[in-house]
Amino acid sequence: MQYLVSVINDTAGLATPDEQAAIDVFNDRINAEGYWVFAGGLAAPSASTVVDNRGGETIVTDGPFVETKEHLIGFWIIEAPDLDVALKLAAEGSKACNRKVEVRPFL
Amino acid sequence: MVAALTRRFGDLDVAEEAAAEAFAAAVERWPADGIPPKPGAWLTTTASHKAIDRIRRENKRDDKQKEAQMLYDDDPPEPLGAIDDERLRLIFTCCHPALALETRVALTLRMLGGLTVPEIARAFLVQETTMERRITRAKGKIKAARIPYRVPSAEDLPARLSGVLAVLFLVFNEGYLATGPGTDPVRQDLTAEAIRLTRLIRGLMPEDGEVAGLLALMLLTEARRPARLSASGELVPLGQQDRGAWDAALVTEGLGLVRERLAAAAAGVAPGRYQILAAINAVHTSARDVRDTDWSQIVALYDQLARLDPSPIVALNRAIAIAELDGPEVALAAVDRLDDRLAGYHAYHATRADLLRRLGRGQESRAAYDKAIELAGNTAETAYLTRRRG
Repeated sequence: MQYLVSVINDTAGLATPDEQAAIDVFNDRINAEGYWVFAGGLAAPSASTVVDNRGGETIVTDGPFVETKEHLIGFWIIEAPDLDVALKLAAEGSKACNRKVEVRPFL
Repeated sequence: MVAALTRRFGDLDVAEEAAAEAFAAAVERWPADGIPPKPGAWLTTTASHKAIDRIRRENKRDDKQKEAQMLYDDDPPEPLGAIDDERLRLIFTCCHPALALETRVALTLRMLGGLTVPEIARAFLVQETTMERRITRAKGKIKAARIPYRVPSAEDLPARLSGVLAVLFLVFNEGYLATGPGTDPVRQDLTAEAIRLTRLIRGLMPEDGEVAGLLALMLLTEARRPARLSASGELVPLGQQDRGAWDAALVTEGLGLVRERLAAAAAGVAPGRYQILAAINAVHTSARDVRDTDWSQIVALYDQLARLDPSPIVALNRAIAIAELDGPEVALAAVDRLDDRLAGYHAYHATRADLLRRLGRGQESRAAYDKAIELAGNTAETAYLTRRRG
C-alpha cells in the first residue's frame, strides 16, 4: 500500500546541507529496504503557477493556489504494508529533514 | 464476538452490523425455537453469514476472491483464550495513536463497551450526529490508512499500552466526575465500563505493573462513591466522608493490588504513574479515620510522582498534602507558584480558597471561591464550593 509523506515547511528556507545529508542517508536506506517509490524536494511556492481550465478559458495565475504560513516543500511516496510501518518511516523522515510531515494513504 | 468477526472480515463496520443482526435474529428466533445447544457458536455462525451477505450486497473491489476465502474458512469455534486475544487486538486498534483521543474513547466504548451511539453522545455531552460522524470517520480512517488489526510488537507495546490506559482512565474520570441529581445515569455506567475493560486488559496482561496500578486506582476511587454525595447532592470531600459507607470489597481488592505492586517496587521494578497514584489512594483508604492519615507518606509519594510527571496538577495535589504536614502558609506559597499554569483550573482556585480560609484571609478566600465556582463544570462541586464560600 502506498502512502504520500508530505514535508511541511513553516519557515522560508530549504534544506540545510546537514539536513540534506541526513535526507540522503534516509533515502538510501528506504531504497535498499524496498520502501522507496519516489521522492523529491520542491521549489518554494513563489515558483508555482496555477492553471484552471474548468471553464471556457484557461486561466493561468502566478503563485501558489493558496498563500499559507505552512506549505509543501517536498515529499516521499513509500510502499508500506500498514500504517504502523508508514508512521515509523515517516518519523525517521521527519527527523532527517527536520520538519513536520503528513502521512496520507493513496486510494 | 465483534473482535473475532473483525479479524475474519477485516472491517469494523461489517463486524458490528453483523453482530447486531445476529443478536436481533436470536431475540426473534430463540423464544420460539428454543435456545440452541451452543448459543455462542450459533451467534458467530449467524453473524458470519450475515457479514458475507452484506459484503456480497456491497460489491466491494476484489471481493470475489475474498468471498471464496471466507466461505471456505471453517475454523472451529475458537477457545476462550483466542477470543480474549481478539478483544485485545480490538482495544489496541481502537486506541491507535493515529486517532484523536476523543475518537479513541468513542470507538473503544462503541466497539468494546457495546454502548450505543446515543449513549456515548450523551455521556460526553455532544450531539448524536457529531458522535456518529466521529465514529464513522474513525472507521473510515482505519480502513483507508490501513491501521493494522493486531497487538503491537514487544518493542512498541509499552508506548501503545499507555495510550490504551489513558483512554480507560479518561472514561473512568468522565464517569466518576458525573455526580449530581440531574446527571444522566449513563455517565455513572462509564466507571463500571472502564473498570470492566481494565480488568480485561489485566486478565490478558497480568504481569504489567501499570495495568495493575490503574485497576487499583479505579477500584479504590470507585469504592468511595457511596460516600461522595451528601443527601442534598453536594460533593463530600475525602476528609469528611463516612468511611463506613465505602465499598469494602472494592477497597480490599484495590489494596491487594497496591500491595502486589509495592512488593514489585521493593524487588526493583520502578513504579509508573498509575501505581503511585494508586498507592496514594491506598494510604488515604487504609486510614480508618481522616485524622489517622499518614500525610508524610503521601507527600513522599507525590515527590516520587512529580519526578515522573512534572505536571502542575501533581504539584497542586502535593501542596494540598503539604498543608496537612507543614501548615497552610507553606502550602499556599507552593500553590501560588502554579498560578500561570493553573489559572483556568477550578481546583486550583478551590485549593487557594480553602488555604486562605484557614489562614483567616476571608475576603481573598471568597474571591477565590467565586473564581472556582465560575470555572467548575459539575453541579455537585458547584454546590459544595458555594456552601464553603459562605
